[in-house]
Amino acid sequence: METKSYDVIIVGAGPAGMTAAVYCLRKGLRTLVISKDIGGQVNWTTLVENYMGFMRIEGPELMQRFKEQLKGENGAIIEDEAINLWHRKEGFVVNGKKSGEHLGKAIIVATGKRPKMLGVVGEESFRGKGVSYCSTCDAPLFRDASVVVVGGGNSGVQAVIDLLASNARQIYLVTNLELSADHVLVDKISNHQKVRIYTYHQVTAIHGDNMVTGVAIRNLQSGKEEQLRVEGIFIEIGLEPNSEFLEDLWKNNLGEVVIDCHCRTNISGIFAAGDVTHTPEKQIIVASGEGAKAAIKVWEYLMNVGSTRNEERKYIPPAERGEVYAPIKGG
Amino acid sequence: MAEVTVYTTSTCPWCLKLKDFLQDEGIPFDEVNVGLDSAGAKRMVEITGQRSVPVTTIGDQIIIGYDPEGIREILNSSEG
Repeated sequence: METKSYDVIIVGAGPAGMTAAVYCLRKGLRTLVISKDIGGQVNWTTLVENYMGFMRIEGPELMQRFKEQLKGENGAIIEDEAINLWHRKEGFVVNGKKSGEHLGKAIIVATGKRPKMLGVVGEESFRGKGVSYCSTCDAPLFRDASVVVVGGGNSGVQAVIDLLASNARQIYLVTNLELSADHVLVDKISNHQKVRIYTYHQVTAIHGDNMVTGVAIRNLQSGKEEQLRVEGIFIEIGLEPNSEFLEDLWKNNLGEVVIDCHCRTNISGIFAAGDVTHTPEKQIIVASGEGAKAAIKVWEYLMNVGSTRNEERKYIPPAERGEVYAPIKGG
Repeated sequence: MAEVTVYTTSTCPWCLKLKDFLQDEGIPFDEVNVGLDSAGAKRMVEITGQRSVPVTTIGDQIIIGYDPEGIREILNSSEG
């Protein structure tokens, strides 16, 4: 398979990746976007009400608009998963699972995050058989059913709202702390007769035969165990970064790529933006802004690199440079 | 060509992506929106033994999730 070369390869096509791509293309850079999931997490968001310029817009529709803007700049997108990133004399190599090697003078990592798993007995074996990570997709399949939702943040409460809209019979919201979702969301469920909220509880096991039939929960204050007879469990306990393939990049204790205020990673020529980074605010508008910043810095980087001979830019992995990274406390 | 049926919900992003794929490839299909059609939802759970969308049935073969290559493979083998 022929290896094509680009000025910049952007890995990931959520808000950060697609914004970065538009900025790079407008700078005249030969740009490739490689992503297994165009739109990323925003595709799973029912309603966005805080992206400026739109009072209310469905997540997938917002991402469709990003994609159209990217196509308007003649951006190339390859739908594929990047499985590794390494360096050789000519530049950085991104290896696509299906598409093979792609060569870039600079890289922007914008691979975002994915849903975190609970890690309890039954979660894997009942996946799809009552265990779901997407209320946007699967809530309508639980009409007249009793369901557990795990997670007290915005996603958890939104899952409860989705299930109420789908006429679920009874919904148990389980969270290991207090609810941390926005008040505007909590107000929609807190006094609803179909919703029972268990704060300071955790799920300890998922039971069933062919499908889920029950969930065990434990009161974290009293230690008391309780069995809930349910047909489904929606897990909305947060996200983890898609950063495993970035072996040489510095990451914090959450696996997020560490960047400076110019979106630079520890390796010269590799930049990162959006939710995969340790930037604390995980918002669509912030990710888009970070994507724009990364693209501008790539442009400046390429201008500087152009004035030196390529072979002088020798890549030395952090370990060989003797650099040790101490994770940032609390992410 | 074997009959293709797609089980969806209105808000599922992978369902939209799957329908786009089938339309782009010119593959005719029937859609059962399990959020609106409770008999269809029951049927889907019975034939797949699971409760998530999208699901594609091609004749008596079942594909769970968004899997364009799996769909192509089944259609190519059924044509051959």
